[in-house]
Amino acid sequence: MRSLKIPLAAAAVAALVLAGCGTTSERTSDTPAAGESKACEGADGKYTIGMSQANVAEPYRQRMDDDIRAAAKEVPQFDVKFADAAQDNAKQVADVENYITQQIDLLIISPNEAKPLTAVVKKAYDKGIPVIVLDRKVEGDAYTGFIGGDNVQIGSEAGKYVAEKLLPQGGNVVELKGLAGATPQAERHQGFVDAIKANPKITIVAEASGDWLREKGQAQMDALLKGNPKIDVVYAHNDPMAEGAYLAAKAVGREKEMKFLGIDALPIPSGGIKAVEQGRLSATFTYPTNGKEAIAAAKRILVDCGTIDKSQILPTRLIDASNAAKIYAEENPAT
Amino acid sequence: MAEGAGLVRMSGIGKRYGGVRACRDVDFSLGAGEVHALLGENGAGKSTLMRILSGDVTDYDGTIEINGAPVHFGGPTDAQAAGIAMIHQELDLVPGLSVADNIFLGRELRTKLKTVDRRRMEREAGALLERSGVRLDPRRPVGELRVGEQQLVTIAKAISLDARVLVMDEPTSALTTSEVERLFDVIRELRRSGVGIVYISHRMEEIAQVADRATVLRNGRIVTSFDPRRLSTAEVVEAMVGRPVQTMFTTPDADTGDELLRVDNLALKARRPRPGRRDPEGISLTVRSGEIVGLAGLLGAGRTELLETLYGVAPAGTVTGRILLQGKEIRPRRPRQALAHGIGFVPEDRRASGLVLFHSILANTVVSSLPSYGRLGVIARRMERAASVRMADRLRLKFGRLQDDVGTLSGGNQQKVVFGRMLLTEPKLLLLDEPTRGVDVGAKAEIYRLLGELAGQGLGVLLASSELPELIGVCDRVVVLRDGRDVASFSTADSGEGDLLAAAMGEGAVFEEVGGAQ
Amino acid sequence: MTDVQDKPATQVERSAGSVVATLFRFQSVFGLLAVFVAAIIFSPRKDGEILFISADNLANVVRAVSEIGIIAVGMTFVILIGGIDLSVGAVLGLAAVGSAVLMVESDWGFLPSVLLVLVIGLVFGALQGVATAMIGIQSFIVTLAGLQIARGLARIWSGGQGVAISYGDGPNEAPESFAILGERTFGGLVPIPVLIFAVVAIAAVVFLRVSAFSRHLYAVGGNEKAARLSGVPVVRVKIAVFAICGLLAALAGIVHAVQLNQGSPNDGIGYELDAIAAVVIGGTSLMGGRGSVAGTVAGALLLGVLNNILALNNIDSNIQLLIKGLVIVAAAALQRLRPAT
Repeated sequence: MRSLKIPLAAAAVAALVLAGCGTTSERTSDTPAAGESKACEGADGKYTIGMSQANVAEPYRQRMDDDIRAAAKEVPQFDVKFADAAQDNAKQVADVENYITQQIDLLIISPNEAKPLTAVVKKAYDKGIPVIVLDRKVEGDAYTGFIGGDNVQIGSEAGKYVAEKLLPQGGNVVELKGLAGATPQAERHQGFVDAIKANPKITIVAEASGDWLREKGQAQMDALLKGNPKIDVVYAHNDPMAEGAYLAAKAVGREKEMKFLGIDALPIPSGGIKAVEQGRLSATFTYPTNGKEAIAAAKRILVDCGTIDKSQILPTRLIDASNAAKIYAEENPAT
Repeated sequence: MAEGAGLVRMSGIGKRYGGVRACRDVDFSLGAGEVHALLGENGAGKSTLMRILSGDVTDYDGTIEINGAPVHFGGPTDAQAAGIAMIHQELDLVPGLSVADNIFLGRELRTKLKTVDRRRMEREAGALLERSGVRLDPRRPVGELRVGEQQLVTIAKAISLDARVLVMDEPTSALTTSEVERLFDVIRELRRSGVGIVYISHRMEEIAQVADRATVLRNGRIVTSFDPRRLSTAEVVEAMVGRPVQTMFTTPDADTGDELLRVDNLALKARRPRPGRRDPEGISLTVRSGEIVGLAGLLGAGRTELLETLYGVAPAGTVTGRILLQGKEIRPRRPRQALAHGIGFVPEDRRASGLVLFHSILANTVVSSLPSYGRLGVIARRMERAASVRMADRLRLKFGRLQDDVGTLSGGNQQKVVFGRMLLTEPKLLLLDEPTRGVDVGAKAEIYRLLGELAGQGLGVLLASSELPELIGVCDRVVVLRDGRDVASFSTADSGEGDLLAAAMGEGAVFEEVGGAQ
Repeated sequence: MTDVQDKPATQVERSAGSVVATLFRFQSVFGLLAVFVAAIIFSPRKDGEILFISADNLANVVRAVSEIGIIAVGMTFVILIGGIDLSVGAVLGLAAVGSAVLMVESDWGFLPSVLLVLVIGLVFGALQGVATAMIGIQSFIVTLAGLQIARGLARIWSGGQGVAISYGDGPNEAPESFAILGERTFGGLVPIPVLIFAVVAIAAVVFLRVSAFSRHLYAVGGNEKAARLSGVPVVRVKIAVFAICGLLAALAGIVHAVQLNQGSPNDGIGYELDAIAAVVIGGTSLMGGRGSVAGTVAGALLLGVLNNILALNNIDSNIQLLIKGLVIVAAAALQRLRPAT
């Protein structure tokens, strides 16, 4: 009978579901008290942590997940689940809702955008789930703690580095910006511009938007090279765009004339630290993923029954040829 | 003729479709060099039997032997390998490919470099077409050809397969008389070279001409086998439908009324002329209410194009001349306007342009008259159902349930649905394009009866047909078209098929100048 | 077989295939049931409670599909006439941006903003209908272009970035009445977006059942040439269908904006594909002329339940994509097995 095919198909789907899922957690928990942190059972407890990531396709966020995974391994009480919203606010809302349904013990979220995620984060927080927000903030104060970098400060550090170290005698700077409308883009720009004012002999001769992408940075740089016979420094809002700019300059044999600066300094093979170590970039500035810090904060809340700061801003570090190899090794301890 | 050589022997063939037994214990044989005609109403089981033979249907009861060896085909490819080729009623051609490409589809000729040898394919296709009695440019896309021409291409394609057994399903349904003659020459030649041919047709006179033996199927069983040259048409028809048929044609009484339609020197100059299309180049004719006027002409004479112009579906262009309906000048630009004027149209190819085959009988019947079954765009289901049932009764439609797909009906009943749809719009004038093409004898007779009835109620009918007996038998008057112009008009009371043919071909015929009605 | 020769217009016995045919007609409903049952079986439990069927979770499931569902209803109309509309995700984005900009930046009231946004969607869709019906460009191409145009318009209107919506009476605040659209009703159980989706779905089902227009729509999709010759106003039907689809995409955009408190030009990227998937799973033929809104609704819910149960079990997001892909293929394969007529 043909009609058998429907249950068969359903069974096949069900089998896939079954094959994919591990054992479901069997824990008991106290009824949550509305508002603040619940269920600290100390070192004897078992805790499920939900990590809601905005978009794993970005290397920075992949690294964030990896850092969380690695750090959580050191805490035997923790079981971390991961969800990826693939850059879709609505999907991330659903991801958090599903974590709430699963009655997780703590939520770590790196929001895709602030406003759309605020309500659902508040919903989790109001149900008594501690929430650690990473990298991008949500609005209001319905979360336990925020851990992130300060993009204005990073831009400012980059500006200072250009004004004092690279071009004390002044010169021409080209700026490759991130995606228009993104907050980090605006902040990295503002911090930089304010800092280089200290040296009036520096001019930003051109700026273009590379949308955070290597190939876009390369294409924009192609055009900028044609229009600007003298470029001394290229300041890109992230490492991939800086690398793209380097490739564009190299293609016309001008890569030696200028210095390339990036941001993020991911300690991965394709990241900025390696690029500095291999001499393509002059310097990059760390933008911490906060993965380690997030798990530390979770441990303080759940295992130590302590409290964490509402806001924890991690400082940036300058990576240049002098320390690149050493820091890369530190960030990737041999296992 | 090699009578003894049993080329094909099918015995005890049975096939069920759900609750319907399409074939029951059928024995059928074909000798080398024999033309075996297969007759029967649509749905009698002819097509199923032949689909079994050509490997299209693989699950059946009974056995097939080819040259005495039992075979069971796993698919059409197996059957083709065994030398069995079928020319389907539904033309299986790729419209976007050229005639030559279609003929050699799947077995393209190659050059030494293994690339397609287009030039050789075109040359050989040309030769094949010539053999089948057509002159066509092998480079023309098949989609541009008229239905009849496409049919000739499929025949040429089948012949090119060098088959030992050739199944022809209604090969002449869209051919003109002269083309039919040439096809028969081809058949006779094939027979001489030992090819066995199964010839399915509704046209008795053709069968008498070419077939050596004829078998009649009814309701999946063999009713009789006979020598087609001995039995009369009436006897064969009776065997097919299972009851005596007094007369095929209902002779209409010439009791016609006022002038309904007057076409005055109508011409259409298409903005973008399409090849193979013959738009009206100056046609004048009239149809009175209660009158059935035939449109005769060869393929490409412009019959379909005239009907399309009257119905408002001709290509965009400049129309000159006048169309008067009940004395009022009209110029329909789309079917809706034509329908609003009271003009209905039954197109030539009901499957391609008449019906949505996978929609219900009900939906297909009422689609033209929907606004009348309710208010404010909301359909009152009971009203549309009632209308549909009423029409089914009136047309003596044979069907299961109104919700059944119209595609499950036999060809004749499908055609009745298209008729019914138009009648529900309560037209004053009905334009019919080959309304009995591919329709079995029984349904044909009913369509003729219906036309007579409609004319009796004062409807005017303009009927384009390639079947001369039909035109003579059904119409009060026949207008002959040639090259987009009207060249003659005959009263059927005192002229015959020969007159029509002569006028249509323009071969030494006497051109009568006919002004208006006789 | 009964002898029907002399009994015209009488009913012949029901063919045995009709039971199977019925099963296939409601394929997506059975599929939904199967997935639903599977979800219950594989749902994580807590204190004996099956998490999947908790009221809150079920509300989440339907809320999460409400936007795709609304779009998919419009998409069903388009696919029923044998077309496709790739612009719906972009129109959703345009509508979300429009709602936010009008209410926040232009300080328009709730009703005028919503109405204008709906009209924009309607007109946008109608223009695409004109391009495909009157100029004769394939709808795939027309709406591919429409997708780019709608995204471009959304970027221009929003200034390239998301416009956050906060509520209040002050300047640059949206009216509180708009926020209601994102809330829950019936004791905080049923999200308003779900109600909107339900109303749209029911209206569409009823509309397709009783209207003369729907017969025309099916006829155009089934055999456009036959429909034209039958006097169906093919051009008008096509334009209306694309207009409806645009209207519903705009409605979904409004729902999107209120749920996320923001209108961003990047909203709704890829939603057209989810909507098409829901329609296909719902048993509507991409060739046109065959299918139903009820099937689409079931298809959308099926995808929603599937998403939910995979997430509740924390299946890796990459594996989730594989499973969803397989489900779409399975649904399409089932249609191929539909009894031929």
